[in-house]
Amino acid sequence: MPTIQARGLTKRFGPEVLAVDHLDFDALPGGVTGFLGPNGAGKTTTLRMLLGLVTPTSGTVLIDGHDYRHLPDPTMRVGAVLEASGFHPARTARNHLKLIATTAGISFGRIDECLALVGLSDAADRRVGGFSMGMRQRLELARAMLGEPDILVLDEPANGLDPQGIAWLRDFLKWYASGDASRGGDGRIVIVSSHLLSEAQLTVDDVIVLAAGRLAAQGKLQDLLAAGTKRAVRVRTPDTQRLVDALQAAHLPATVHDGYVVSEGAAAEVVGPIMVENRIEVHEMVSTTESLESLFFELTGGEGMHPGHGAGLMGDYRQMAGGAPSPAPGSSSRPLEEPK
Amino acid sequence: MTRLLAAEVRKLWTIWSTFVLFGILVVIDLGFGFAIAFAPGGRRGGEAGIVPHGSSQWFTNVFSVLDTSRLLALMLGVLIITGEYRHKTVTPTFLAEPRRGRVVTAKLGTAFGGGIALGVVTMVAGLLLGFVLVAAKVHACLTSFSRAGVQQGMSQALCRAQHGLYFVATTQTMWHDWSRIAPGVVLGTGLFAIYGLGLGALLKNQVVAIVVGLGFTLVLETIVGAIWPTIGEYLPGQAATALEDAARTTFEGANTRLLPWWGGAVMLLVYGVALALVGTLTTLRSDVT
Repeated sequence: MPTIQARGLTKRFGPEVLAVDHLDFDALPGGVTGFLGPNGAGKTTTLRMLLGLVTPTSGTVLIDGHDYRHLPDPTMRVGAVLEASGFHPARTARNHLKLIATTAGISFGRIDECLALVGLSDAADRRVGGFSMGMRQRLELARAMLGEPDILVLDEPANGLDPQGIAWLRDFLKWYASGDASRGGDGRIVIVSSHLLSEAQLTVDDVIVLAAGRLAAQGKLQDLLAAGTKRAVRVRTPDTQRLVDALQAAHLPATVHDGYVVSEGAAAEVVGPIMVENRIEVHEMVSTTESLESLFFELTGGEGMHPGHGAGLMGDYRQMAGGAPSPAPGSSSRPLEEPK
Repeated sequence: MTRLLAAEVRKLWTIWSTFVLFGILVVIDLGFGFAIAFAPGGRRGGEAGIVPHGSSQWFTNVFSVLDTSRLLALMLGVLIITGEYRHKTVTPTFLAEPRRGRVVTAKLGTAFGGGIALGVVTMVAGLLLGFVLVAAKVHACLTSFSRAGVQQGMSQALCRAQHGLYFVATTQTMWHDWSRIAPGVVLGTGLFAIYGLGLGALLKNQVVAIVVGLGFTLVLETIVGAIWPTIGEYLPGQAATALEDAARTTFEGANTRLLPWWGGAVMLLVYGVALALVGTLTTLRSDVT
């Protein structure tokens, strides 16, 4: 069973910048782990420390109990898709993969398999210089897959992919994470860093949230969302005042916005019986859980970090709406085509 | 290590810039060779300071130009390591082999092999050039001999024999000079590629490493060598020249002090390996971001 374990992981760039600050986390096999955080939170630095490309100032991050630099066959254990990874523009896709296969002692037959897997078979003998961003990203994925590793690490893999590509990647990652489980194992570790929260929400099972180099939250996405404070129930009813009174009598918050009664923090399972008991007519009832986005802002203190959305405005909006309605993770994902 | 070496060699021949480098080398070899071959000289010789065409000294001069190929070997060495940083292929390279010292060691071996290959190509180009020169020389003599022979009433057969003897003698002279120069040039390009790799490992930036390498070899070393010949003979360029037996005879005495050939080889190897070692411990240890 593959493991990744970070303990006290710290990275300083010069005296001023503390990129990663005493980070502890574990990545679990069997699901996709989202590595989330605003720009500059330390995601890329952490992943690069994991892969031995950046040396930690202190602390450790171990793969199966070893530092990456001491893994006997790193290509067979860990596959990595990194943003700033490069290609020689004059080299063909196949030759690019041959270099890695040669180093790792992997047969060249596997190259065709990996290129087919990411849909680059036709471009195998074309020079990478003419590749689009999305094709480069796919080639990176093919390179990561060469050794059939138990651990897959992807830094912003959705960059440059078109919507079909993103949907394909999502299905691929879910399939790959559980892949080994079908053979009786515990599954593989897949870590994906992302700043596209709506996409991450559809893909990830576990999340590790970073803010300013520190761990802000870690756990199952479902649990974190359920425990969020922005949960609310919204009801449209002709008996507005009666419902407000009934809710308040039950010590639940109740306010009226645009003709809706909003009870923040309440669950539909609690509000429903109260309405039945009081024989209140219901025209519409919506239970909103917290969205990953609002949870993310809450955890990272990143309100107002997007230009055009002032902190106050965002706060007001969320208070009014009680959090944006969020679909269950995966519910809108397309039927899974097993990428094979 | 065998796999790493194989991967490094593959890196070289999967990009066209390597072949461009070899192409430039051949063009330079032939260009310089011809330039020296037809530089002012006497057909019959005799005048002071003028090298008679077709003489051993003439071939030696033509072939010793070929050692400029060591500058291209230096560039090859620099490119082998700085190209990885320039195109950011260093990330997949270090992902596949995180022990960076091993990567550098494989690159040292590849640089040496690549440098040797450059040297061999140079000397083969030189040999072809030599045959062209011999043929030209024989052709030129053939016409003049025939004219002279006929005037003196020599038989056609005797004329032919004379031409044949001349051809064999000139080819022998050329071959003798060529084989005396070849080992030094080939070893020199091999070791200079290692020196270039060391520079690249230390400086990491392609342009800076090439400018420093060429500037040092072509300018600074010449100046230092002229002022302090005792120091100059230990510098890379002079150390490489010391590998060539011919260098001692071409520019007679004067003020060029040279190490014994093995001394030059050791000095070059020390430069290359020491620079690569320092580079591995400093520059290459830095974070890849």
